[in-house]
Amino acid sequence: MVPENIQTFSSTSLNLGAGARTTPLDDLENVVALYQPRVFRFLLAQLRDRDAAETLTQETFLRAWSARASFREDCSVATWLIRIALNLARDHTRTGRFRFWKHISANAVDVADVAASVPNREGSAEAHLIAQEQVARIWETVASLSPRQRTIFLLRFLEEMDIPEIASVTGLPLGTVKSHLYRALNVIRTRHNASSSNCGNQEKA
Amino acid sequence: MTPQLALEPVGTPNSAAGDPHLTEDQFGELLAASQEIASPGATRAEAHLLCCKQCTSELDSLRESLSLFREASTAHADNELRRLPQMSLPARRLLLFPALDPAFLAAAAAAIFLVALLPMQGFRQQTLQPAATASAPSPSAESDEALLEDVNREVSASVPTPMQALDDPTASASPASTGIETPIQNSDQRKD
Repeated sequence: MVPENIQTFSSTSLNLGAGARTTPLDDLENVVALYQPRVFRFLLAQLRDRDAAETLTQETFLRAWSARASFREDCSVATWLIRIALNLARDHTRTGRFRFWKHISANAVDVADVAASVPNREGSAEAHLIAQEQVARIWETVASLSPRQRTIFLLRFLEEMDIPEIASVTGLPLGTVKSHLYRALNVIRTRHNASSSNCGNQEKA
Repeated sequence: MTPQLALEPVGTPNSAAGDPHLTEDQFGELLAASQEIASPGATRAEAHLLCCKQCTSELDSLRESLSLFREASTAHADNELRRLPQMSLPARRLLLFPALDPAFLAAAAAAIFLVALLPMQGFRQQTLQPAATASAPSPSAESDEALLEDVNREVSASVPTPMQALDDPTASASPASTGIETPIQNSDQRKD
């Protein structure tokens, strides 16, 4: 099955010559416009560093365009891009781990900024504050997960990928993906329940 | 690893059916499961949810929190992206300069080579031009040649023979007046 986005791009591809095979990634400007927010969001949540996320987002599209001939269309463009972004993020944290953690203090994403981005639905100000607290708690808990658990959690609950897709992106077996995901969810559930009971106690007091 | 689908034996059976609560893996499976895919374990867990308010409430609360987390993360990333200056510039640069195309690389290399040759050609012309103009006589060269002629003339002028008697230098000035004794005079005095 050809993904929808691939059909969209095929009509706007650049002319690469008679012998060149056209790929959905030839029209880079459209690809960037469509997928940049998604790639950046994933990298920002994964690395928690604005500069690193920005740099690696650009690098993701550069690599994707350079290697577009190897894109066999056996997955969606989004999956392929996230796979590249994930590999870059891994390399980034692996090779410059010390520099990365040193640097992150200046460009780290503030949990308060994320919590402040909680949409204000119809409800009381108190409910909105509780929602912000919940988001802050999850954001902090995700940071405490192991790198693999964090990646899988973000792919599932931020990028809304299903488990076979996550297995394809990470190159892990389905069972391993599920196992890491359940462990991550268990940690989040435990912290979530603890904070909920704290809130309940405060309300009673 | 296949998740444990057995129901959690801990806690009091406070659901209407008296069943124990959901296990961690069942919670995980329910939270992580896609809407369109329902495993038999999830179906069993869902059956439990129908009669257990506590598990239902906890699951709903977790789902709500995860949904908020996604919305907040997305909104935050979008805000950050808006603040960044033209993130897609490198991509556009790539479109304008498809540097990885071999044909483009060859053309670019040829263009650079030609551009590099042009200034060299101009420099060569500039260096040849003064050499050509140097062959024409200039006023300063004329004066130099005249000076050399004078020097030659003076050098080749007739010199006195070695044993020719010199004019008496004391004829006009005494040694006292000059304060200099010539060696010839001294030798004459010694002879006397």
